[in-house]
Amino acid sequence: MKIVIVDGKHEADYIISMYNNRKNDVIVINQDEDTCRYLSAQNNIPVMRGNPTRMSDLQLAGAENADLFIALAESEFENYVACKLAKKFLGAKRCIATAINPKNVDAFRSLGIDSVMSSTYLLGEQIRNAATIENLIRTLSLENDEIHITEFRITSDMYICNQTLKEINISNIASVSSIVRNGKGIIPNGNTKLLADDKILVVTTHNNSNKVMKVFQRKK
Amino acid sequence: MNDVNTIIIGAGRVGNTLAQALGKKDSILVIDKDKRKIERLTDFSGFVEVGDATDVNFLIQNGANEAENILIVTDDDNINIFLADVFVYLFNRKHVLIRLKDSRKANLVDPIVKCICPFDLSLADFQQKMEEGGNQ
Repeated sequence: MKIVIVDGKHEADYIISMYNNRKNDVIVINQDEDTCRYLSAQNNIPVMRGNPTRMSDLQLAGAENADLFIALAESEFENYVACKLAKKFLGAKRCIATAINPKNVDAFRSLGIDSVMSSTYLLGEQIRNAATIENLIRTLSLENDEIHITEFRITSDMYICNQTLKEINISNIASVSSIVRNGKGIIPNGNTKLLADDKILVVTTHNNSNKVMKVFQRKK
Repeated sequence: MNDVNTIIIGAGRVGNTLAQALGKKDSILVIDKDKRKIERLTDFSGFVEVGDATDVNFLIQNGANEAENILIVTDDDNINIFLADVFVYLFNRKHVLIRLKDSRKANLVDPIVKCICPFDLSLADFQQKMEEGGNQ
């Protein structure tokens, strides 16, 4: 896989170390001379000093046709422009930009950046999820937040407790993919009953996530 | 704010001068996040707003998504490009002008956007005046 990592310091270092092996071709570009030296020394790879919002610099670094283009600059607008360049003119297949301001995450996504990461945004989402339902243990978002995998603990006061999946009837909006009961994993079918203290994994889509939450929040 | 037909984003020297020049015939809203720059708009009778124009909700709250003419003149090319995309692709505006210090970035915005590149303009002006001088 060809991976281009532009700007950032410690984040860049971490991601480089993750991908820097024989399977990948890692290209690193950074605007700051000291950071170039640091990243190069830490990871034992060449780091090009250049401006990632300039096409000529990206070309010089050999950033064409990246499978993954990751922009980690402090300025999210620099990341936006770098990703746009990579996508529009340099054949990047997938672009990831970091954004400090969580408010820009949705705008960047609507404007064609494949993935936008904002630690504040992710934290906010986690808190929101955690606050929605006390029995929700954790949620994982996949494919640009399109798919949600959520872990719930069933309690006896839940409406769905002691009902079969067929009775709960959420197959059109979600799928209960596994149950952990007394430490043992079960792959459920329509006749499987949800019991108190079951830990279940629910797969749903972004659009149906709230509906699923309502089903689980309903008390007896 | 429904009667505003022109938005100027960035109240630096260019934004300030544009606002004062255009303000005589258009209804204008000037946005800048720097309060001091807004305060420098002395000879201007239009609307002003201190805030972050890169916040899409802020733009909508101020009716910028419905304005007819959009002039984007912050001093950061990358912000100007992002804002041009917001106005063209998210707000579906047709008349968007941006300033770009680096004219090589002009191909990043939609062809509908008019890019004003001071460097290119002054270069062209120099060349023209050089030629005029040579002919005399």
